[in-house]
Amino acid sequence: MFTDYFLLSLKSIRHRKLRSWLTVIGIVIGVAAIISLITLSRSLQGTIEDQFESFGANRILISAKGFQGPGTLSQGLTMDDVETIEKISGFEYVIPGIFRSSEVNFKGQTSFTLVGGIPSQYYEEFYTDTGVDIVDGRNVKEGEKYVAIIGSRVATEMFDKEVHVGDKIEMGHQEYRVVGILQEVGNAQDDSQISIPLDAARELFDEEDAVDLIIAQVKVTDEIPQLQEKIEKELEQERDDTNFQVVTAAQILEQIGQVLGIMQIVLVGIAAISLIVGAIGIMNSMYTSVLERTKEIGIMKAIGARNKDILILFIIESGLIGLVGGALGVLIGAALAYAVGPLSQNAGFTIHITLEPLVLLFGLAFAFVVGIIAGILPAWQASRLKPIDALRYE
Amino acid sequence: MNHIYIENSSANRAMEVLQLKNVSKVYTLGEERVTAIDKINISIKKGDFVALVGPSGSGKSTAMNLVGCLDIATTGEIYLSEVNIQKLTESDLAQIRGKKIGFIFQTFNLIPSLDALENVALPMMFQNVPRDIRIKRAKALLEQVGLKERMYHRPNQLSGGQRQRVAIARALVNDPEIILADEPTGNLDTKTGDEIMDILKELHKKGRTIILVTHNPDLTKLANKVFTLKDGKIVGA
Repeated sequence: MFTDYFLLSLKSIRHRKLRSWLTVIGIVIGVAAIISLITLSRSLQGTIEDQFESFGANRILISAKGFQGPGTLSQGLTMDDVETIEKISGFEYVIPGIFRSSEVNFKGQTSFTLVGGIPSQYYEEFYTDTGVDIVDGRNVKEGEKYVAIIGSRVATEMFDKEVHVGDKIEMGHQEYRVVGILQEVGNAQDDSQISIPLDAARELFDEEDAVDLIIAQVKVTDEIPQLQEKIEKELEQERDDTNFQVVTAAQILEQIGQVLGIMQIVLVGIAAISLIVGAIGIMNSMYTSVLERTKEIGIMKAIGARNKDILILFIIESGLIGLVGGALGVLIGAALAYAVGPLSQNAGFTIHITLEPLVLLFGLAFAFVVGIIAGILPAWQASRLKPIDALRYE
Repeated sequence: MNHIYIENSSANRAMEVLQLKNVSKVYTLGEERVTAIDKINISIKKGDFVALVGPSGSGKSTAMNLVGCLDIATTGEIYLSEVNIQKLTESDLAQIRGKKIGFIFQTFNLIPSLDALENVALPMMFQNVPRDIRIKRAKALLEQVGLKERMYHRPNQLSGGQRQRVAIARALVNDPEIILADEPTGNLDTKTGDEIMDILKELHKKGRTIILVTHNPDLTKLANKVFTLKDGKIVGA
């Protein structure tokens, strides 16, 4: 029985091909926008979460707060602070690091990039815990000084000529031998970094005591909150100020999640507006259809169609338009997300696009429901037509 | 729907397919009340070929709508195979129309998006007839009206005469008590019109009850009963 109504509705839709397609397009745009935006923002979130997870969920990062430097009262971090933290038990290791931008020369070409320095003896553990592999060459060994490990972009993109293991790069009139190349992480900043031993970095940036970032690796994940609190307390006591911040990977992740969440709501809200416009399109099309087919409705009633038959026919019709629009919208939305994914790579961040079946299914079901809702009023109007009036209509 | 048949059935109306008793139809146009049909009495027996004639404005269209259960009388009673249709709901009326009345219209009134076969089969869909039976019956009827080769043509691919044949097949498909033909030749040339009238004549011979609504006195020759309407009243029977 339902199949018969379905086929009848389908024939009517196909009979008004152009207008049916135009109506469908309205829904396609709305659904495609929603699907692609949800997929993109969720994939972005997923990618960031993945990075942070491999990046050390067991890490507490300590950095100076606000602007420091000559002329300000604020005092940056120093090796004293590193010692203060080292005294607290519960850490695998505490690494002082310097991260600054520097000029880099390679085969006569100059570029600027972020240079990081951590003590040579920590290199092995640091990269193991970070989960970033050295794909070519080896790691920095304890006691080495003028050696460097470079990110994948430094090797392939920063200079006209590719940088290989064994090549020499120059920073601050000092040559560094490239001993290893890191795997691609996915974000431009990390992939463009050059890592050298802390001793060398101190020479390069002419800093004897300053520390930009302290990385404290926690032994037991569950202890992170307590340890974070302890660091804050001890540092405040020793430094007699609060010009530092102690953050955990989880906190950063949470913050990013919040920002992305708001972004997602805004984007999907905008997309939803276009879907509403599409729904109004369906309604408009259905009203036109009712008007246009008034006589047809009269005929059907004359040959035995009840009000509910007409109601069902028209609702199926609008639901079908919604469903077709939804199906195409989901396909196009998914394709769009896949198309935009690689574009993000050029912008310096690789989003790994993951299609979620539930999101796709939701898009489809939503379009169907929107179609049905948009069809209810016109269908109701059609079903209430009096047979004699409808038959007389020209 | 069984209650409909039980209700109002009585022996003295056994032969009557259709009875209009003191039926009036009054329309209200703004403040004005227009009596389109004024206390008419019509009785039609099974197998009758009845002509309902009258000039335009005579009320014959209104009468046809009442007989066809498309409209409800203001006063009076209409019995269709012993059922007082005045008391039925809109939904029951639709069922009655589909089951007991076969409409043939002046403008054919086929559904443009459906082919001939689907048009003929459509009334059975609203009676919940299974699909295979619908197709079988529709095909057989189209064959009978000489459109075997045109089953899968849509109305706009058929001539006027062919369209009216499709409409006749559609009117017959639920085996109705009454065939109600409203100016069936009005949109056709004389030759084609004659062919359509021949089909109606044939149907009458086979025992069908036919009500023909027309303003053309020539067509009434086939009828065994003629009701002439004027100003909403029957002036000759």
